[in-house]
Amino acid sequence: MDRKKSMSFRQSINKESTAGVVFSLPFIIGFLAFMIVPMGISLYYSFCDYNILSPAVFSGLKNYIKMFTDDEVFYKTIRVTFYFALVSVPLRLVFALIVAMILQKTTRATGFYRAAYYLPSIIGGSVAVAILWRRMFATDGVVNRLLAVIGINTSYAWLGNTSTAIWVLIILAIWQFGSSMLIFLSSLKQIPVTLYEAARVDGANKISQFFKITLPLLTPTIFFNLVMQMINGFLAFTQCLIITEGRPMNSTLFYTVYMYQQSFKFSNTGYGAALAWVMLLIIGVITAVLFATKRFWVYTEGV
Amino acid sequence: MKKKIGLLLTCAFAAAAVTGCSGSAASSNSQTAAGDNSSDGAVKMTMSWWGNQVRNERTQQALELYGEQNPGVTIEGQFSEWSNYWDKLATSAAGQAIPDLVQMDYMYLDQYVKNGMLLDLTPYIEDGTLNVSDISENTMASGSVDGGIYAICAGINSPSLLYNKNLLDENSIEIKDNMTIDEFYAVCLEVFEKTGVKTNIAYGIPETYNNYFVRSFDTPQFVDGKMGGSAETYVPYFEQYTKGLEEGWLIDPGVFSELALGSGEQDPLIYGTTPQTQSWCAFYNSNQLAAMQSAAPAGTEIGITTWPAFDPVKSGFLKSSQFFSVGAHTKNPEEAVKVLNFLTNSLEANDVLLGERGVPASSVVADAIAPKMSESDQKVVTFINEVVTPNCSPIDPPQPEGASEVYNLLIQMVEKVCYGEMDAQTAAEQFFAGAVKIMDGKQ
Repeated sequence: MDRKKSMSFRQSINKESTAGVVFSLPFIIGFLAFMIVPMGISLYYSFCDYNILSPAVFSGLKNYIKMFTDDEVFYKTIRVTFYFALVSVPLRLVFALIVAMILQKTTRATGFYRAAYYLPSIIGGSVAVAILWRRMFATDGVVNRLLAVIGINTSYAWLGNTSTAIWVLIILAIWQFGSSMLIFLSSLKQIPVTLYEAARVDGANKISQFFKITLPLLTPTIFFNLVMQMINGFLAFTQCLIITEGRPMNSTLFYTVYMYQQSFKFSNTGYGAALAWVMLLIIGVITAVLFATKRFWVYTEGV
Repeated sequence: MKKKIGLLLTCAFAAAAVTGCSGSAASSNSQTAAGDNSSDGAVKMTMSWWGNQVRNERTQQALELYGEQNPGVTIEGQFSEWSNYWDKLATSAAGQAIPDLVQMDYMYLDQYVKNGMLLDLTPYIEDGTLNVSDISENTMASGSVDGGIYAICAGINSPSLLYNKNLLDENSIEIKDNMTIDEFYAVCLEVFEKTGVKTNIAYGIPETYNNYFVRSFDTPQFVDGKMGGSAETYVPYFEQYTKGLEEGWLIDPGVFSELALGSGEQDPLIYGTTPQTQSWCAFYNSNQLAAMQSAAPAGTEIGITTWPAFDPVKSGFLKSSQFFSVGAHTKNPEEAVKVLNFLTNSLEANDVLLGERGVPASSVVADAIAPKMSESDQKVVTFINEVVTPNCSPIDPPQPEGASEVYNLLIQMVEKVCYGEMDAQTAAEQFFAGAVKIMDGKQ
C-alpha cells in the first residue's frame, strides 16, 4: 500500500517557507523587473548597434573591439577615473577617521559638530551643490577672494587648468566624508575601554595606543568603508557632469560621464552599454582583489 | 488556523499592492510622457522647447492663451538649455513618449524623421487644420524630408555677430556689415589693444559657424552622409585660433570651464567681470538679440552684424531658426496640430511671442506684429531684410546622422589648439581624419 504523501494546498500555505517567499515577493519582483531584466537587455545591447531611435541591430563583438583598440578617450577616462577614486577614497577615509577620533569625546558641542560634518555627505551629491562648487572655484569665485583676504592676489582658473581641475572634483568628494565618519564613530565606541586601560598601565602613550589598539580593531570597518567608497568612487557621475563635463581637454572626464555622452549625445547606445559592462568587470575585479588581500590586514577574530 | 491563513493572505495582497505602486531601485520616468485623454474629455498635452528666459515666459503665455480659448485643453511646457535638450528628447523618444509638440532643429530633423519620431503634417495641411498659405515655398521646403512635411518654421533668422556697441563706439572702432576675415582680425586686435577685452570665436558652439565658414570655399560640409572637402578645407578655421593666440586677443579657454556653453546669459559678451574674461562679440543667431539685450548689463547696447567669412555672400544664409513639429506618439494629433496652427498663424499668439524665435514664417503675421515688436526685434527684422537677404546663398541640406559627434570632435580639436597643444595644420588633419571615420561608421 503506497500512499503518496502530497501536501494539501492548505498545508503548503501554512509552511514557514511559504510565508517567507510571500513576504519577500515585493523585493523579488522589483529586483527582477528593475535590475535583472534591464541588465540582461543592456548586455544584449552591448553586442548591438543601437541608437535609441531605431531598433537594435546585432553586431557581435564590434563595440568591445572598438573600445580596446580604437578609442583613446576610453583609456583617458580609465586613467582619470582611477586617479580620482584612488586619491579621493583614501583621503576621505583618513579625514573621516581623524574627525571621528576627535569627536569621540562627548561634550556639549559634539552633537552639533557631528550633524555639521554629516550634512555635506547628504546634500553634497546634489546638483545644487555642484553648481555652487563650480561658482566657488571660478576665477572670480569665493576661493580666489578668500585667498585675496589672506594676501594671495590671484585670479587663477582652478577649473580651467588641466592640473587643478580634477582636484576640484576630488575636494568635493573628500568634503563628503560624513557618512564614513559616523560608521567609524560607532566602531570606535565598540572597542572595549579595558584594552586602553591595560595599555596605559603598561605605559603606552596615546600614539602607541592608536596604532596598536585602535587601528587594528578598526580594520574591519576600514575594509568595509574602503570597498563601499571605492565602488562609489568609480561610479561618480553628477559632480563631473555638472561642474566640468570633462573639460578642460578630458582631464576630468569620468568613465560614467563618457558612457553617458556616447549613449545619449552621440546615439551610440550599444557602445555605451558595452562601456557599462566593462566598468562592471573592472569594479568586480577590484573588489575581488580587495577581498583577497583581506586576510593580510583585516583583524577578524573579535575581541 | 483560520486566523493564520487570513493574516497571511491579507499580507500577500498588501505586498502585491505595494509592489504595484513602486519599484525597488528604479525612478519612474513619467516626466516626458505623452498626454492622455482623461474620461471627462479634458486634453492634456506637453510641449518641449529649448531657449532662454524671455522665450520661456512668452511661450508659456501663448500656451495659456490657447488654453483659455479652448477650455479643457492644457498644455504643459517643458523647457531646457540647448546643451541637454537633445539628450532629454532622445531619452523620451526611446521610451515612446516623445512630447506632443516638439521644437525641432535643422541639425536633427533628418535623424528624427528617418526614425519615425515626427508626425507627417501633409494630411492636416490638405484638410485645412494647418494653414500654411502665408508661408513662402522655400521656408516650407526647409521643413520637409522625403516629400513629407514634418516641421513648420517657427522663425526665420540668420547667423549674426552680436557685439558690444558701447565698447566699440567709445573707442571709435569701426565695424562693417559683411566683413571679411582679415577685417575681423583687424577689429579684434584693435579692441584688445585699446581696451584689453578679448575675443571669443564660437568656443564650444562651433556647429553653425564651422559650416558657415567652409561654405566660402565652395565645398559642402556633408555630402551624401560623408564628409566633403579635405583636411585643407579646415586649416583656415583653426588658423583663426592660432592667430588669436599669437596676437593675444583670443579669450582664454579656461574661462569656459566655469560656464554652461551656448547659454546666452552666461556668454563672455555680457557675463565676464574683467576684460580678460570678456569678449567684445558673440557668434549667435539673429533671433537671440532680444534675449542678449535683456540679459546685458544696464547701459550696454548690443549691436548686430554678420559673421566674418572669406566670402560673406557665399557663406551667408537664411534659415529657420527652429521648427515646431508634432511627435509621432501623440495621442491627440488633431489637437496638437491645432495648437501648431495657433502658434503659427494666430495674431494674438504672436502678439505674445513677438518674433523671439525669429521673423515669423507667415508673412501676414510678420507684417502685423512688426510695429509691436521691441526695438531690438525691429533691429533684427531690418538686419535680416536689408543686410542678409540681398547677400546670401541657399542653405545646405540638413546635416546627416553623426554630425553631432563630428562637431564634438571639432570642439575638442579647437580646445587643444586654444591651449596651445597643436598647430592649425595638425588639428585640421586630425579633425578631418576623425570626422571621416565617424561618418563612415554611420553608413
